[in-house]
Amino acid sequence: MSGQLDNPQLQARVRRQRCSLAVTRALVGLELALVALPLLVIAVWAFTDAWPWPDLWPQELSTRGIQQALSGRQNMGWDTLALSIGIAAACAVLTTTVAALACRALCNFQWHGRSVFQFATILPFIIPSTVFAMGVQVVFLQAGLARTVPGVILAHSIVALPYAIILMTDITRAAGTQRDEAARALGAGPWQMICHVTIPQLLPGIVSSLSMCYIMSFSQYFLTLLVGGGRVQTFVLVLFPYLSGGDRTIACAYSLVFLVITFAVFLIFELILRRFGAREEQNLYD
Amino acid sequence: MAIISRKARRKAAPYLMVLPALLLLAVFVYGVGSGIIQGFGIMPFLDRTEFTLEYYEQALTRADLLGSIMFSLYFSLASAILATIGGVALAALMTRARTGRVTRLFGIQIPITTMHAVVALAVICLFSGAGLFPRLLHVLGMAPDATSFPSVVGAPSGWGIIVVYLWKEIPFIAFMTITIMMNISATLGEAARTLGASGLRTFFGVTLPLCRGAILRAFLVVFAFAFGSYEIPFLLEPTVPKALPVLAYIEFQDPDIINRCYAMALNGIMAGICTVLCVVYYVVLQREHRPKARRRP
Repeated sequence: MSGQLDNPQLQARVRRQRCSLAVTRALVGLELALVALPLLVIAVWAFTDAWPWPDLWPQELSTRGIQQALSGRQNMGWDTLALSIGIAAACAVLTTTVAALACRALCNFQWHGRSVFQFATILPFIIPSTVFAMGVQVVFLQAGLARTVPGVILAHSIVALPYAIILMTDITRAAGTQRDEAARALGAGPWQMICHVTIPQLLPGIVSSLSMCYIMSFSQYFLTLLVGGGRVQTFVLVLFPYLSGGDRTIACAYSLVFLVITFAVFLIFELILRRFGAREEQNLYD
Repeated sequence: MAIISRKARRKAAPYLMVLPALLLLAVFVYGVGSGIIQGFGIMPFLDRTEFTLEYYEQALTRADLLGSIMFSLYFSLASAILATIGGVALAALMTRARTGRVTRLFGIQIPITTMHAVVALAVICLFSGAGLFPRLLHVLGMAPDATSFPSVVGAPSGWGIIVVYLWKEIPFIAFMTITIMMNISATLGEAARTLGASGLRTFFGVTLPLCRGAILRAFLVVFAFAFGSYEIPFLLEPTVPKALPVLAYIEFQDPDIINRCYAMALNGIMAGICTVLCVVYYVVLQREHRPKARRRP
């Protein structure tokens, strides 16, 4: 017999650890269930035709809601979707690029005004975006940016910028500049350095920043309403009026389409970048 | 010559790198600023340039303003505090259970991806008078009809608003803290456990203090977001009191454009409250931080 099993204290400790691990797993499972519940309810309602009180399951199911959500009526069609995805993707790329540059300057360089700039980057956190939206409307009208797609992209990028900076700061600091300098010393050109050394190093930060900015832009209602002035019709602008009342089946159908699209695009983003990242890593060690 | 120009380039590099971000932030400041000065009655595009405190006076003496401020502060603070506790717990649980990537994707990324207003719709489907939860109570024999359950829409306690923010922000806080928590747990946490500290003691004595910066930052983000956003209170709040952003937008929409000054005064008050709270938060943070600063890795 090994001494381990004879020791009652150790036995008790192992049992306690197993027990606590089981509890931990159960709690994580509970969280997953709580995440799934509202999404399932929306999915069921999207296919509901009649659901009288107090049944727990709809009496009649139909695809009426989904059909309307995809039919192109009420300004809602594939072009609205394409526009929303385009705006969100442009915002994601613009914001992440700007944030990556800013983070590099913040983490790897000493320069005058650094602390002031660092404070300025959190301003969009502190001042509510509703205040910004109502204030910037007149400015954009004067500048000819109101009611235009570039104006909406610009406004979304401003609000998303501090999130992107937060998501990229730690990894930029951890990456440092030694490897970049080593690459240059070994004869890499600036573009080679950026493509093969800098970006692969920062990839996890870039992925999370891209997806966060994409999501923020895609689900931005108030700012799009004020800057777009109703001319730039994104998915959310079409969806929102249904949420505050009226036909619940239609509202849930639009929401379901929204959920499927955001998550699909989010997954595509992640898969593409992960593949790209994996390839770079292989190249490094081949 | 070449050396000098390289040195100069190196010196100029950080300024060039922050230039795009500075431009975006300048637009932000200019936008907010032009709104704030409208609150003082200055609207250059209407040839009104006279400074006046009239609109702030009107806004501050408004009967429902205090109620709105308290309501906004109440639900955003409640959401932020509860979400921070829940989010840190979730990150700790996931770290402890060593959950795989798929679980994290589902438990954290899906709620972050979901739009706030859609969550509000789901909460309405679940908890409104004819929602799923009252039906369940009815089947269990605890609610005789559809009106016996207090509806989530327009509830004076704002619990629906808080539920929406919790569903969204608990995973967000976990997302903001889980990376650093996993790192600490794998290194210093492991060391503490090897030295005989229990799981809970390791968490409260080692992991939590080291994650404090990330946690407080996430708290600030969640609070300011909940305080300043329009959609969720608009969909779920009671008729009175209204959340500050909703109040300001109602005034902003008034056909009389001069009324905008009044909306902007409300916005100014809102921005002021946020700024004051953030400054207080930073001062507290700095003061608590300073003695320990040298010990931080």
